[in-house]
Parts: sequence; structure tokens; C-alpha cells
Amino acid sequence: MSDISARVHELRSLENLSAGQTAVHRLHPLTKLLSAIAVIVLVVSFGRYDFSRLAPYMFYPFVMMALAELPYKLLLSRVLIALPFCLFAGLSNAVLDRAAAFSIGGFSVSFGMLSLATILLKMYLCVMAALILVATTPFFELTAQLRRLHAPMVFVMIFETTFRYISVLLEEAHSMATAYKLRSGNKKALEMRHMGSFAGHLFIRGFDRAERVHAAMRCRGYSLVHIPTARRRLLRRDAIALAAVCLPSLLLRFVTFW
Amino acid sequence: MADALLSPAVGLTMCAVSAAAIGVSVAKVNNDEFGEKKIPIMGVAGAMVFAGQMINFTIPATGASGHIVGGILLAGLLGGVPAFLSISAVLAIQCLFFADGGLLALGCNIFNMGVIPCLIVYPLIFRPLLKNGLGTKRLSAASLASSVAALELGAFCVVLQTLLSGITVLPFGTFAALMLPIHLVIGLVEGAVTSAVLAFVYKVRPEIIGSAQYGKRIGVFSMKKVLASLAVLTIICSSALSLYASTNPDGLEWAAGKAMGKSSGAETELEAAGGIYDGAASLQGKTALLPDYAFVSDPDNAAGTSLSGVLGAAAAFMFAGAAGLIISKAKSRKRANSNV
Repeated sequence: MSDISARVHELRSLENLSAGQTAVHRLHPLTKLLSAIAVIVLVVSFGRYDFSRLAPYMFYPFVMMALAELPYKLLLSRVLIALPFCLFAGLSNAVLDRAAAFSIGGFSVSFGMLSLATILLKMYLCVMAALILVATTPFFELTAQLRRLHAPMVFVMIFETTFRYISVLLEEAHSMATAYKLRSGNKKALEMRHMGSFAGHLFIRGFDRAERVHAAMRCRGYSLVHIPTARRRLLRRDAIALAAVCLPSLLLRFVTFW
Repeated sequence: MADALLSPAVGLTMCAVSAAAIGVSVAKVNNDEFGEKKIPIMGVAGAMVFAGQMINFTIPATGASGHIVGGILLAGLLGGVPAFLSISAVLAIQCLFFADGGLLALGCNIFNMGVIPCLIVYPLIFRPLLKNGLGTKRLSAASLASSVAALELGAFCVVLQTLLSGITVLPFGTFAALMLPIHLVIGLVEGAVTSAVLAFVYKVRPEIIGSAQYGKRIGVFSMKKVLASLAVLTIICSSALSLYASTNPDGLEWAAGKAMGKSSGAETELEAAGGIYDGAASLQGKTALLPDYAFVSDPDNAAGTSLSGVLGAAAAFMFAGAAGLIISKAKSRKRANSNV
């Protein structure tokens, strides 16, 4: 159950990164959002065997991480979470699609292997694009941007409260789990038959807490209608950054260089 | 579901469908006089599901460990629409901060794990089973049946979305035969845990479950209309996007080649030289240094594919890595200078 505290740490480490002061961090959140989406959609639109045409997109994660001074190791470890399902699909391609595509020095590469490599590269690029977005944009700026884009108030609000309360409830779950462990004589995990009262207690605690939170918010004058959102203008540097990401990406997608 | 296994057409369609479902649900909550009060509860409940997913428990007699997903659980505690909004927020956070799925796959994930349990299975299976009153046994039966149904439907949608995207070559039958039994087992475990949690909450605080099941139904929309409009939206988006995709030959050339049972890409492309392919291929030929993956002098030479591809990819990796390294070095030197 140590993974609970590990997750709290994971969550906070990304949030801490987003407080950086580099040029990438200072960009308008919309710029970062649009460039992440552009890269993801373009990368995903490549065909099953387009490994070599996808390779140049590696510039995006490498250059962005360097410019934003993000630690390579931390982000790489996150990529591994997304691995299992993609690996399953990719490996099944490698097993089923055995026709040889080409050979390098006597070692023949099948179409299946090519598509496995393509899936893994796509996965890496997509995950990195999302991680770079949140590692360079503080959460409150992200939600402010969602409000500016006229996302439904209610949804943004739920998104925000969920995010804020994850670490609170994770800590609560962690201390409950520790208490359970100490009383249960070296058990590694919860028994399934105890799950009902365990999760039930967690939920009732959370429910009561939510009502107290809501009462406290109302006492301080909260209402859904008037949530101030700071205006932020797109500057010239935003246009340049967006062009620097999108133009080469589009070019690489629609023109074949090799 | 992950970005890497999706085509843009499938991914964007599912994003549009899920966004529409969120829009309708938000409108429902807005129309409810107690809706605003429920927002913090929805947020905290989302965080609760998140925390609940972190708790691993051992499954008796197997030694395996599992965790809950929580769609039906949350629907039982809050009602379908609020539960859907909570789950969507949780999935969005997992996608952004924990690299679960991806931004483009978020639409699919919200559909498979949010729309299906909370907006389809819950009103069609869970609620009808509790129509004649609450009780521990009825709650258990309803949670078990709906959890299994939700997970099976969700798994089936994952299979469909993956196959429609055309990234894997797994045949439909094999893929479904792999996914569905696994999710049947997961569904049974999930159902057992869900019924235990709901029974516990019902014992301790019956009013929470009572108000979710029998309270004033939120909203003025009928579910049938919502589902019908979601279906229409799916059809419009997917046909518009696939129209675009079919003028865009890259991925399809290979798929078509596969369908014709040819092993070599170069051969099938010569055969598949239809109108669209012709135009695209001539454009590609004009713009490419090594057109269509092969040496210009000898279009049948498969070595061209390997040589240009491998060299190009290797060069790209090296340049990208070097660019990153140089920027990092320059930055740290600058920092060292400014510290002196």
C-alpha cells in the first residue's frame, strides 16, 4: 500500500514542476494546449508502419523538455504507466503480421515488428505531449483557460475540486490503510471482504467533508456565477511558439522527406 | 485505451460524443435547484473514487490483487448524472497527470468508463432493479448485474474503437475473445466490492443512497432523446472524419494492401493506383527526397525502404537528442555564470 503515498508524491512532483519560470512556462496556456493537441493529432494520424516518418517528432519532447528544464527521468518513468496495453496490442501485431518488410544486415524485420515500434513511438510522443503540457502549466492556469474557452462552469468546478481533494483523500486512505495494516499482522493488502466497510468509511468521510467544504465556501461568499477569471492576451511570443511547433509538424506530416 | 492505438477519426468522434454527454449532464445539473450544492460533493466523490482506486485488495483463492473502477459505485451513491460528471473529471486528471490513456483517447475513455456505466447501464439496469424498494439483497443484485454489464460493454467498445482505428491487426473474434472473459471476471469482482460498499453505506447512512435513488430526478431531458442525439452525433462526426481520412492515403494504403493479401507494400501500391492514390502519389513523388520509401532508380528495390527509413529515423533521433542536450548545456552554463 506504499503506492498510495507514492501517488501523492507523483501528483505533487508534476505540480511543482509547473511552477517553473522558464520561457516555456511563461507562454500563454492556450498556446501550450493547442500545440500539444496539434502534435498528438498529427502523430496519431500516421499509418501503422510509418516509424521512420514519425522519428523527427522526437524533437518536440526533447527540445521542450530542455527549454522548460524538465527532468528527463521523472517524465520517462510516467511513460511506463501507459506501456502495458500498447505493448499488448503491439506484440500481437508482431506475432500476427510476420511478412518481412526489409532486412538489415541479414536480420529481417517484419511488418509486425515495424508496427510494434511505431505504436511504442506514438505512445511515447503522445504521453510526452500531455505531460509537458501539465508540467509547464500550473493547474489553476489550465482551468482558467478552460473557463476562457467557455467550458461549462459546473464541469470546470468539479474538475478543480476533484484535483484539490485527491491529495486530501489519498492521505486519508493512506492513514486508514496503515491502521489496517498495523492491526492485521503483516498482510500485504486489504482482504476483499473488508473492502466494503473500508471504502464505505472512506466515502462517508469524504461525503461529510464535502458538505463542510461547501458550507465553508458559501460562508465566504462563493457562488458559481461570479468566478473571476483573469484575462490574458496572446502575445507575439505565443504566436511564434505556436508557429514553431505547428508548421514543422504539419510539414513533416504532409510532405515525405525520405 | 491509449492515444497510440487510435486513429484521429475515431478519437475525435469519441471526443465529440463525450463532450456532448458532458454538456447535457451539466445542463441537467444546472436545471436542478440543489445542483450547485452537489458540485463540491461531486468533486470530493471523484477524489474518493481516485483514492479508492489506489487501494489494492487481495482476491480470495487467487492471490491476485485488484482495485475498483467505480462507475457503478458512484452512480449508486450520487445518481447517474452527477456520477458521470465526477468520473469524467477523474479520467481527465488521470490522463493529464498520470499519463493514463492520453488527450485524444480521453473521449474514448470517458465514453467507455463514464457514459456506459452512468448514463446507459445505470438507468437501464440498476434503477429498474431497485424500483420496488431498497434492501441489501436488491442492492447487491443490482450492483453485480450492472457492474458486469458495464465492464463487458466497456470492453466491447474498446475492441470496436481499436479495430475501427486500424492500428492492430488482431482479428475481431480473437480480440473480443481475449477482452470479454477477462472483463467478465473483473466485472464480477467489481460487482462484489460495489455491492459491499453500497450495503455498508446503506446500513450506516441510508439517506445517502435513498436520496440518490428516489430523490427528485435531476433535469427535464428524457434519456432516450439524449441517447438518440448522441447516436446521430456519432454518425455525423465519424462519416465527416472518415471522408477526410479516405482522401488521405497513408495509413489506408497499407490496410488495403493487407486486405488484398499482399506482403510487399511496393507491389500493392502499383495495383491500387486509383484516382486519389494517383494524385497523392504524384504529390508525394515530387516532394520526397527518396520517393515512396524506395530508390528512384529502382522502385522495386525493397532495400530502399530499409536504408532510407532506418537512416532517416536514426538521424532524427540523434539530432533531436543533440538539440535537447545542447539547450540543456547552454542553460546550465548560463545559470552557472549568473550565479558567480
